[in-house]
Amino acid sequence: MITKEKIDNFIEKIPPAPKALKETLLHLGSGDLVKAANAAKEDKALSTYLKVLVNKPIYGFRNEVSDVSQIFGILGVSRSQQAVYNYMMTLLSPSKWVLFKLTRVLFYNLQADLSINWQKILNFLNIEDKEILSSISLLPASIIVSEALFCEKKADVELLRSVNPIDLNSVLQRLCNMDLFDICEQIANKWEMPIEVSKIIQAASGMKPSEDVKVNELGKWMHLLLFYTLSQPKYIDAELNDFIDFQIDYVSDIYDDFSQLMEIS
Amino acid sequence: MRAVIKNGIGVFSPQGFLDGASGIAILSIEDIEATTAQNADMILVSLKRVIFFNRNGLDAFVKMFHKVRTANHTTVGFCDLDTKKYDAITNFYKNDLSFSLFRTQEIATLFATSYKNQNKNVLLYSDDKSQRSAMAIELHDNGHNPIIAQSESEFNKKAAVQDAYDIIITETYLGQMGQKVATRVTGNAIIYTVNSFLDAEIGNTFNIEYHNNSLNVGFRLFIFDTYKVVSMNIHALNFFSKLSTAGAEYNATICFVGMSFDKTPKAFKETLEDSGIIFFDQMDDILQNKELLKELGASSAANIKNKRLLNKTTVTELPNFIDATVATIEMMTNSSAIKDAVQINNIVIDEIEGKIASSIGYYGDLDGMIILVFPLNIAKKACELLIGEATEDTELVLDTLAELVNIVGGKLKTLLGDEDISVDITLPRTYPDVTSLLEIVQDKKGVQVDLSFNDDKFLFFLTR
Repeated sequence: MITKEKIDNFIEKIPPAPKALKETLLHLGSGDLVKAANAAKEDKALSTYLKVLVNKPIYGFRNEVSDVSQIFGILGVSRSQQAVYNYMMTLLSPSKWVLFKLTRVLFYNLQADLSINWQKILNFLNIEDKEILSSISLLPASIIVSEALFCEKKADVELLRSVNPIDLNSVLQRLCNMDLFDICEQIANKWEMPIEVSKIIQAASGMKPSEDVKVNELGKWMHLLLFYTLSQPKYIDAELNDFIDFQIDYVSDIYDDFSQLMEIS
Repeated sequence: MRAVIKNGIGVFSPQGFLDGASGIAILSIEDIEATTAQNADMILVSLKRVIFFNRNGLDAFVKMFHKVRTANHTTVGFCDLDTKKYDAITNFYKNDLSFSLFRTQEIATLFATSYKNQNKNVLLYSDDKSQRSAMAIELHDNGHNPIIAQSESEFNKKAAVQDAYDIIITETYLGQMGQKVATRVTGNAIIYTVNSFLDAEIGNTFNIEYHNNSLNVGFRLFIFDTYKVVSMNIHALNFFSKLSTAGAEYNATICFVGMSFDKTPKAFKETLEDSGIIFFDQMDDILQNKELLKELGASSAANIKNKRLLNKTTVTELPNFIDATVATIEMMTNSSAIKDAVQINNIVIDEIEGKIASSIGYYGDLDGMIILVFPLNIAKKACELLIGEATEDTELVLDTLAELVNIVGGKLKTLLGDEDISVDITLPRTYPDVTSLLEIVQDKKGVQVDLSFNDDKFLFFLTR
């Protein structure tokens, strides 16, 4: 169904980060918002994406924000970097979704939902680190990778799952000895994302707890946040809810804090 | 979301957070209709991967429970519950708990009519006395040894003894249990479960088409679990006599297990025996007696009156049959198939050793049977994806092979459906060796396609 060659082929076809993006990230890395905004303006698609993203209701701005310098100024360095990484992820997303019933808008909403709540979590945990804030951007890559690898095999996947409750991550692991999150890590490497981002994403799979206590803790929060988000009806309708297995035991010790933070009653 | 059905038990596994909105999104009207149509013996909703739920979230499933039970008399309930979840559900549905609650899926299967894990020593406790009795009766009927703890302290004391019991049941509640003619396969015997009063209605509830196709696929032993039958009238007697006589054409045997004649005329037993039905007191008398099971369940093509020939429609659809099979095995093994030879003849298997086989029947607009003969190593490889690891356990491979052949059947159904040909599929039958397969198909003409997967020979045979 899926072979190692197909995965290698997929990874090989991932384009390198465009020049304007690299520059934007470089300036954001050194904290220079003006230079970063100037670099971002060079990439029209990025500018448009940033406008669409920050004007979503979940960001809660009263008036429309349209200028990139203004957007970066409001978001600050960390959240601007996170937004740029989110944009990079959209470069990978397909123009038409087949396996999942997603649309471009719904995918952007998913990114926004995850990003805003991730920041809420980091505030709660008193963590101020722009790399950690950006790590959430890589999480939807697991969905993009699933779509890319399994879209032609939708009927087979449905048939397989009608006789055996197996998630896409396990199918991939059993067939190719490599899972969705390993592929996400390779994407992060290719795009020169900080190593910590990949580590948190691997832990967030729920299958590979990290030995690093801090990374593991963040992995738990991210895993729970993913399923909290994917339990929303719009994502259930998009058939995202069970693409990987929810590891309830992994997150049980942080659940009370999570439910308090998200005001779940 | 659809239920995964295995051994007649359908399980839904929602995950994450379950509230009113997500409950409705998870379970659409089509899903409920599909669940009803699947006609499983038991429908469970596992809450193992649900971290939060409220009453509105569960309501979507409870509505489905009512619909499925009304339509099919299926046993329905939630499983994989810890104390917190169990307490929450009993609290939500205080006066309206018409479905069952099982602490684990394993406990639920004890109450299903599955004899695979029979004869378990079960310690059980519930603070509700009538529940304790109801559970004990159900467990006993299903061939287990229930030990009831009368108080919590007695339960704690008994439960503390290590390895004394196979399974310990607490926090389990039996709602209305299902009452239907249930079907399942154990050791190539088909077991039907019948309940209460058997009258003319059995002619409507018993799926005769399914039974006939099972005969055609090669099942030869049909066991009626009649532990819960109170009495039988003359109409039911006629029905079973006819069923037995009709099965004799195939050398099939019908057995009644656990039938009591307290409220049924003794003369009925003689009539049933005259028509060839064999009586046993305990299910173990057959299922644990491997020799007898082998003898009664052995395939035999003898005396099949109507030998059916391949027809034009079947041959026209041959590419679909081959595609369904090849695509499935390619999918499961990540290898590609090469077609070596096609011929219409009796089945020819060059080397008998080291091969296992499986067959699945289909009926509807078209009917017939697909037979697949695997070298053991291909079968193991094909099953690896479903099992998750390499295994040497042939029984496990045979079980998984049945799942795989189910996928072939499902794929075939879809491919034929695309051409407006509607078929249903029977349960798959597996053969641990080729000899037992040959007994049933050696006289049948069909299309044989020899395929190779990475130089391993694999055989596909289509017959009627």
